[in-house]
Amino acid sequence: MNRTSIKNKLILSFLALLLIVMVVVGIANQITNDFILAQAISAALALAAGVIFGGIFSRSIVRRLNSLSSVAKEISRGDLSKEILCLSQDEIRDLEEAFAMMVNDLRDMISEIKSVSSRIEETGANLSGLIDKILANSREIDDTALAIAKGSEEQTLIVQKTSFVTDRSLEQMDEAVRQSAQTVSKANDALAKTETGEANARETLRYLEDVLKQMVENAEPIYRLSNKVEKIKMVMSVMEELSQKTDLLSLNASIEATRAGEMGKGFALVANEIRSMAENSKQSSQEIRRIVDDIFEDNKAALTSLRKSEEHIVKGREIIHGIVGTFGEMLSGVKDISTEVKEVGDVTAKQAKEMRALFSQFHELSRLAQENFMSTQKTTIGTKNQKEEIREIVTVVKSLNALSEKMMEIQRRFRLRRD
Amino acid sequence: MECFIFEAAEKCLGIETEHIYRIADDIQITPVPLAPPCYRGLIYFRGDLFDVIDVGSLMGKERSMPNGNPYLILLKWDHRKLGLISDKIIGITWIEDNDGSRTVFTKEGRTIELITPEEIWKNLSKLTYGS
Repeated sequence: MNRTSIKNKLILSFLALLLIVMVVVGIANQITNDFILAQAISAALALAAGVIFGGIFSRSIVRRLNSLSSVAKEISRGDLSKEILCLSQDEIRDLEEAFAMMVNDLRDMISEIKSVSSRIEETGANLSGLIDKILANSREIDDTALAIAKGSEEQTLIVQKTSFVTDRSLEQMDEAVRQSAQTVSKANDALAKTETGEANARETLRYLEDVLKQMVENAEPIYRLSNKVEKIKMVMSVMEELSQKTDLLSLNASIEATRAGEMGKGFALVANEIRSMAENSKQSSQEIRRIVDDIFEDNKAALTSLRKSEEHIVKGREIIHGIVGTFGEMLSGVKDISTEVKEVGDVTAKQAKEMRALFSQFHELSRLAQENFMSTQKTTIGTKNQKEEIREIVTVVKSLNALSEKMMEIQRRFRLRRD
Repeated sequence: MECFIFEAAEKCLGIETEHIYRIADDIQITPVPLAPPCYRGLIYFRGDLFDVIDVGSLMGKERSMPNGNPYLILLKWDHRKLGLISDKIIGITWIEDNDGSRTVFTKEGRTIELITPEEIWKNLSKLTYGS
């Protein structure tokens, strides 16, 4: 579009006025020969033309400026619905276009502000809801933190008590380990002594076997003596029987000699002598029998004693066999006990080690519980601060809402479209 | 006179030797039922039956102990036969008896009471069978 500037318009108007003046001057010169008159008439006509042209020109500019001024006044009252018409092609048009652009920008800005205000309001509402939720969560966090703090305190107390008990258990376990070690040492001593005892018992058994063997060898003559004594007794019985028969024979001979009277006196003497010999023989036999009986009784007693000794030795051998067996069982038992006590000691030491690890973990747990307690305390303080800050946020949000309201209120004052 | 001396009924008794038939041993005594306690039974010796009497029991004392003295004193007189069980047989000894009135003698420190087979027989006869 071709633009015609006001300067050009003025130049063209001046040229047109000059042409008119020239025409008028020519016409006036023709009409009159009077120069001055002609000059006067020309000047008057020129002035009149100038006034007319100037009035028309200035009116057109002032009217458009007034139009812009009225639109500006409407805008200042918030009415942005007015349309700015661009009719001319001069610099005023530029002003009108810039003004129209400014109004459009203002409309866009106000619309934007309105949108932003709406969104701020919406965001403020959402923010309020979120703040309420945060407050509720904060209260829950606070309650939970209090519960955790209480739990941590109780946990700390329990851990301390458990640590105390564990410490005592640990001491007792250490004592048990020490006692196990002592028991193992004593069991080893007992093992050594049992082995010595078993060796001694075996040695005693061997000696006892030798004694028994020796006794059996020594008993042989006594047994033989017993048999011989039995034979002597048999011989003595025969001798006694003989002496008895002799005695009887001599008695009967004496009786027969007595019957024979004087003739039998010599025979009676012989019979008496025989009887006397028989009596002596009988007494000697009885004496020998007593001696043999004594020997027999002594031998019997010796044999009984020997048998008893043998029985005792056999019993002693059985007892020592039993003792050896018992020593073997004791040895096995002591070994088992030693092994078991050692295992118990190892297990107890392992338990003590694990208990120490547990104890350190308890310490760690106690430390963590204390840290939990401190953290919950900090959380409580944090939630308290958070509440304060949320309250400040609420205040800010309220201020924001108020500002938004105010912006909306201001925005409502603007009229963007023509209804 | 020749006397056969033996001990019985806690006494030392003597019998004239001419009444002694034999001194015997190892003879089985056959007991007789319902006989008095002093009557031990019967023996058969060389074709004769002898009544065997415990002198201790007959004289009211303890029974004689045949174990210590296994001999039986066999008496034979006037067709009578008797066996005596004594505690101990002493032997044959000579006793001075001039008038035959004494019945108790002392010989070698022993007091000997002289008895006759008839006295024994009478004492035995006084006992009742089956008592």
